[in-house]
Amino acid sequence: MHKASKKSVWAALTLSIVLSISFSSDQISPRLKEKIDAAIHSTYGITDFELKRIAVQSEWDKRTPAALGGENLFEIFRAKQLHGYLYLGEAPSKKRKFDYVILFTPNFTVKKTKVLIYREDFGQQIGSQRWLKQFIGFTLVDHPSYGENIDAISGATISASSMTRAIGDVLTSLRILKEKELIP
Amino acid sequence: MKKAVVLGLTFCVIGAWSYAQENKKQQDIKSIKGMCGCFEVNFKYTETFAPEIDYEKHHDYTATALEWAGLIEESDNKLSIQHLLLVGDTTIIKHWRQDWLYENQEVFYYDKDNTWNFTSLPEATVNGQWTQKVYQVDDSPRYSGSASWVHVDGRHYWENKASSPLPRREYTKRSDYNVMLRGNRHEITNYGWLHEQDNDKVIRKDGMEDVLLTQEKGYNTYTKVADERCSIAQKWWTTNKAFWSNARNSWETVYDRQGLLSLLPAVDDKPLYMHLYPLQKSTTKVDDITAVIHQFLTEKSVIDAQGK
Repeated sequence: MHKASKKSVWAALTLSIVLSISFSSDQISPRLKEKIDAAIHSTYGITDFELKRIAVQSEWDKRTPAALGGENLFEIFRAKQLHGYLYLGEAPSKKRKFDYVILFTPNFTVKKTKVLIYREDFGQQIGSQRWLKQFIGFTLVDHPSYGENIDAISGATISASSMTRAIGDVLTSLRILKEKELIP
Repeated sequence: MKKAVVLGLTFCVIGAWSYAQENKKQQDIKSIKGMCGCFEVNFKYTETFAPEIDYEKHHDYTATALEWAGLIEESDNKLSIQHLLLVGDTTIIKHWRQDWLYENQEVFYYDKDNTWNFTSLPEATVNGQWTQKVYQVDDSPRYSGSASWVHVDGRHYWENKASSPLPRREYTKRSDYNVMLRGNRHEITNYGWLHEQDNDKVIRKDGMEDVLLTQEKGYNTYTKVADERCSIAQKWWTTNKAFWSNARNSWETVYDRQGLLSLLPAVDDKPLYMHLYPLQKSTTKVDDITAVIHQFLTEKSVIDAQGK
């Protein structure tokens, strides 16, 4: 199959499974929705945006290290213009899980990362933008590594290394999807 | 004989207590007056703790200024200090005003949406205390609170917590909170005085508990310098004091109330000070000033306190 026609098949396939939800999904709590909206507003400086979920087929979800099969990957539109992508995920802290987002530019460069809800007393330092800003500018070919190209945080080792790993997994997963032309 | 001794002792105790009270009051007055004069001011604010992990701290705010703090009114139970900013060699900006009232019962508490509640404190609760009433650049209210001056271990300070509108440095920039719960601490120091603040930036809604957005540390130092450096401000005040005396009198008639006072953030797209400043060049008539002030009075609380 020619590359061009292969692309259009994938595009059609992807479009067919894109669901416009504008965060009316019941799977995301109102508190989390509010925080996601605030994160988008502060990162892109836009309001009245629309989120369209990119649904990934389960076979690809199984082949990628980051979860992609649920309410995870979204396109951010405002006035029909694509402003970027949002990945919503969960990662483990010492005993529980925290919610985070990665906000990308339209060419999948990390624009900002945020921890949205954290459920333990220890390790909250990972929410600081002083630390999180290290991920800004990472692209799908980059590999964040805790203690190497990402600074360690004393007293938050478990959560900080977990966040680093999670972001690395998302970058790897999106790279796979991009190589397979499942995303633009 | 026994009765006479008891009576004598009682008089002695009362006399000693009265002397101590008066002595304490004079110490208080000395401290309050310690905030008067010409000062190099260093303003520093930094956000500290936020309950939500995704809150992004805003940049620190720092500024310096030369400021004249003049004692514009003094009576047995009242001291009024007007702050004037000196900008460059020629420009004076009327800044905030702080009134200090001894054993005062009449206060105003900021609610939200440019609305204050004027109320009375029980006499017993203000014994030996000073109320600090702080006013905006146009002499409209900001916040007030009552507490005792403390003189211990060679230190002299007064502390209070009061709700207030957003500070001017954030008034036009922030809309993510609507009330600043100010922790004010005034301490007289060997270099002048320190205005230390531990502030809570809160979201206040009717019938709901305040939601804390973030906390903030303020550390404003007032370093005393020679009064001559502020001579231009003193001259400015001499020229303009009649106008502002009348403005204060106009406001006093507005403040003479129990209950709510709501003010419009702007009339004809201009805040009150932009109406009053031009007026001070043309008139000092109380009626003219009162007419302008009354344009800003409203029965309804203003939904958006910041005028945005």
